[in-house]
Amino acid sequence: MKIDSSLPLEYSTEENRLKIFGFWIFLGAEIVLFATLFTVYFTLQTRTGSGPNGAEIFELTPVLWETFLLLTSSFTIGLGVHAMRIGNKKAMMAFFIITLLLGLGFLGIEIDEFVTYVEEGATIQTSAFLSALMTLLGTHGLHVTFGFFWGVAILIQVASRGLNPQTANKAFIFSLYWHFLDVVWIFIFSFVYLKGLIS
Amino acid sequence: MSMEEVFHPMQEPMILAAAISIVVGAVVIVAGLTYFKKWGYFYKNWLSTVDHKKIGIMYIATALLMLFRGGIDALLMRAQTAVPDNGLLDAQHYNEIFTTHGLLMILFMAMPFVIGLMNIVIPLQIGARDVAFPRLNAVSFWLFAAGCGLLNLSFIIGGSPDAGWTAYFPLAGTEFSPTVGNNYYSLALQLSGIGTLMTGVNFIATIIKMRAPGMTLMKMPMFTWSILITNIIIVFAFPVLTVALALMMLDRQFGTQFFAMQNGGMDMLWANLFWVWGHPEVYIVILPAFGIFSEIIATFARKNLYGYKSMVMSMVVISLLSFLVWAHHFYTMGHGVMVNSVFSITTMAIAVPTGVKIFNWLLTMRHGKIQFTTPMLYALGFIPIFTIGGVTGVMLAMASADYQYHNTMFLVAHFHYVLIPGTVFGVLAGYHYWWPKMFGFRLNEKLGKTAFWFIAVCFNVTFFPLFILGLDGYARRMYTYSESTGYGPLNMLSFIGGLGLAVGFALIVYNIYYSWKHMPRNEKADVWDGRTLEWATHSPVPEYNFAVVPTVTRLDEYWFAKKEGRDITAGKIEKIHMPNNTGTPFWMSGFFFLAAFFAVFNLWVPAIISMIGVFGFMIHRSFEKDHGRYISVEEVMATEKSLRGDK
Amino acid sequence: MKELFPKQHVMGFGFSLLLTVVALAVIKFDMSLNMAFAVLLVTALAQATVQLVLFMHIGESEDKKTLYTTILYSVFVGVVTIIGTLFAMIWGYN
Repeated sequence: MKIDSSLPLEYSTEENRLKIFGFWIFLGAEIVLFATLFTVYFTLQTRTGSGPNGAEIFELTPVLWETFLLLTSSFTIGLGVHAMRIGNKKAMMAFFIITLLLGLGFLGIEIDEFVTYVEEGATIQTSAFLSALMTLLGTHGLHVTFGFFWGVAILIQVASRGLNPQTANKAFIFSLYWHFLDVVWIFIFSFVYLKGLIS
Repeated sequence: MSMEEVFHPMQEPMILAAAISIVVGAVVIVAGLTYFKKWGYFYKNWLSTVDHKKIGIMYIATALLMLFRGGIDALLMRAQTAVPDNGLLDAQHYNEIFTTHGLLMILFMAMPFVIGLMNIVIPLQIGARDVAFPRLNAVSFWLFAAGCGLLNLSFIIGGSPDAGWTAYFPLAGTEFSPTVGNNYYSLALQLSGIGTLMTGVNFIATIIKMRAPGMTLMKMPMFTWSILITNIIIVFAFPVLTVALALMMLDRQFGTQFFAMQNGGMDMLWANLFWVWGHPEVYIVILPAFGIFSEIIATFARKNLYGYKSMVMSMVVISLLSFLVWAHHFYTMGHGVMVNSVFSITTMAIAVPTGVKIFNWLLTMRHGKIQFTTPMLYALGFIPIFTIGGVTGVMLAMASADYQYHNTMFLVAHFHYVLIPGTVFGVLAGYHYWWPKMFGFRLNEKLGKTAFWFIAVCFNVTFFPLFILGLDGYARRMYTYSESTGYGPLNMLSFIGGLGLAVGFALIVYNIYYSWKHMPRNEKADVWDGRTLEWATHSPVPEYNFAVVPTVTRLDEYWFAKKEGRDITAGKIEKIHMPNNTGTPFWMSGFFFLAAFFAVFNLWVPAIISMIGVFGFMIHRSFEKDHGRYISVEEVMATEKSLRGDK
Repeated sequence: MKELFPKQHVMGFGFSLLLTVVALAVIKFDMSLNMAFAVLLVTALAQATVQLVLFMHIGESEDKKTLYTTILYSVFVGVVTIIGTLFAMIWGYN
């Protein structure tokens, strides 16, 4: 395998560049996937049947915490990739671990949010609005969960195999995925919660 | 669901016969493989392959099998409607049959045929050794096979989906379709849809990043361009289907209210989402056919393709417009005039680039030396017959007129007039054209041409009457009609045409057997005197495709190299890096199949356990250290020497 | 230690936090629905751009043209799906 040492490790082989490219295309598909979920949400958001609407169940504080945690985790994984590029394996792993813990925190708050909704009688079966809301939030949450396990697998590989073209490539692609999930959250924060809380 | 309900369908003679033949067939295959000690060979060379050529062959073999099953569905429908008040099939069976026919033909025949051809040809046409992600490619195939297998299983276990291939709500919801049939729909299509999305990513990466040195985008063969555009549409359209199917599953099996008729649900939202995907889907199946025809017409008119740039532009425009027309599938659903007007305009607009292509093909043939081979016959038949389909499409595009045509046989005739002369003729032409490249011998021309004439003529006998019936008011998806409507004679004519079509397709299958037995084996590699790179390598193609990757300086480089007496494959042979086979795609898809099967029946614990198996294989793949192997220079030279005997 | 916190990243993070706070304005202040929508759209798109360009390094490889085209195309399809659906299913209904 030809290694181009003028490029960062994750881009240094042809196979590496191919994989990064392919993942970007996949992110294009994921954009359309989430756009479709937003489509369903926007279409059904006023159709609350006998159940509550957004303003009645959304709480700003936990949402702000979720936003802060995910945004910070996006920052820390960016720092992790940077540390990887300057060859600092220890710092990279530390930042990645912090990222995953912040993600776990995000998930914890979101699960609590869902439990609260159910306790209030707002379940995924209650109305079209709630079905759409929880499917959009849930799909994002499932993506974060999948990402958590994927991140752990990569950390184990970096720890045991060190930073080489393959592990660097995987870590970088994972960071693309993680950043993308934050981008999706920004739109959820803005157009689901904030817009829903406008009186 | 009780065991009685699951196996009740087997009390029907046809279903029981199908179940028995499936079991017998499976036993024969297992016994045969065991007796001839071929399990190792089968697993090593087919189940665990990552070779794009073998994967392509498996796709096409499956497509042919599904063509057979979908065709029987079609014959049953034509037989049932051949005479008024017929009792061959009752309404429930008829519904299951037209649903299965649509699903099989579009998703499990046309798609795999197209994807199979792109798998075989694209790396060869761009001078590459494989696709960008060979293991992902195998995952794509096995997920497709899992979805296909799941849908086929529905016939004998639990009952087929019966709400049309479009599965509109509220009919497809649990209130009106309480059996598991439409669960099969949401889960089988979801599996194969994921596979197709992976194909989209794979082929965009392959075409953009792995072309031979010197082959800029505007020097690519037209088939490669058509596949690039097709895969771009796939990547951006399939996620919509993924969401729609997931919502369908949630509504049917988890009590959500997306498409419900109460609690704020909006049943028409399903139709909207389905067609946001569905319209790009039809362009996914037609653009590769356009690409194939471009290759074939240029080759067999002995002329370069006319209007290369406008051909490329027209496909780019089609890809963008294809996302802007979807509401024309439901003009009559009740929304206002403004919506219908906007979509009428976009729909009529999309006919224009296709028209450009038709003229370019005609101009390619002008002053050319036409060779009437089987592939060329399909191309020549395509042009006038597809045009009929196209212009009836423009008729349907006008929303106000569509109130008359919608959901009549006029519509059914229109889409068969674009799908069959378009996609089916295209894949049959491509199949005949590239067969010698894959197998080293040609398909028999006489049989091929006879089959073509049966298909081309009888297609019109089958479907043209449907235009007239539709204008007469004959609705689609109706299992029978009364004598007083007067629809009988034309339906009988259509049925007779269908029998002729069956003969044509049977001849195509027979041709495989006949040619395998009788056709000479040492065909030259460039059997048609082709223009593009795939003809520069041997037939059959060695594992590594090209011993030396050719350098390209212009469009149709191989054609000009031949004219100038240059060997495009000359050069220094180096060791070649190839990926290793792996069983993971097969096993992972197997677990996915199980998970989906259990989910159909709401058996959530086994389904979750199976999904854990899927994730287990993903983790295994993540920790994979296998980076392939090298084929040594000596081995390449030896292979080249033995293959050069065929040239 | 300083080399672990590159300026671009820190500034990007700060800017994102700022944009989040600005977005909160739609519920803290009284404004028309159109105004609120505009604020949300601008802040969200700005944050998305920060992520794509500064954090995901979309422009750093030889493929940047293709990648920008991919994102553009997917946003096009996404927006058409959202607006087209709302048009056909809600706004366009009599």
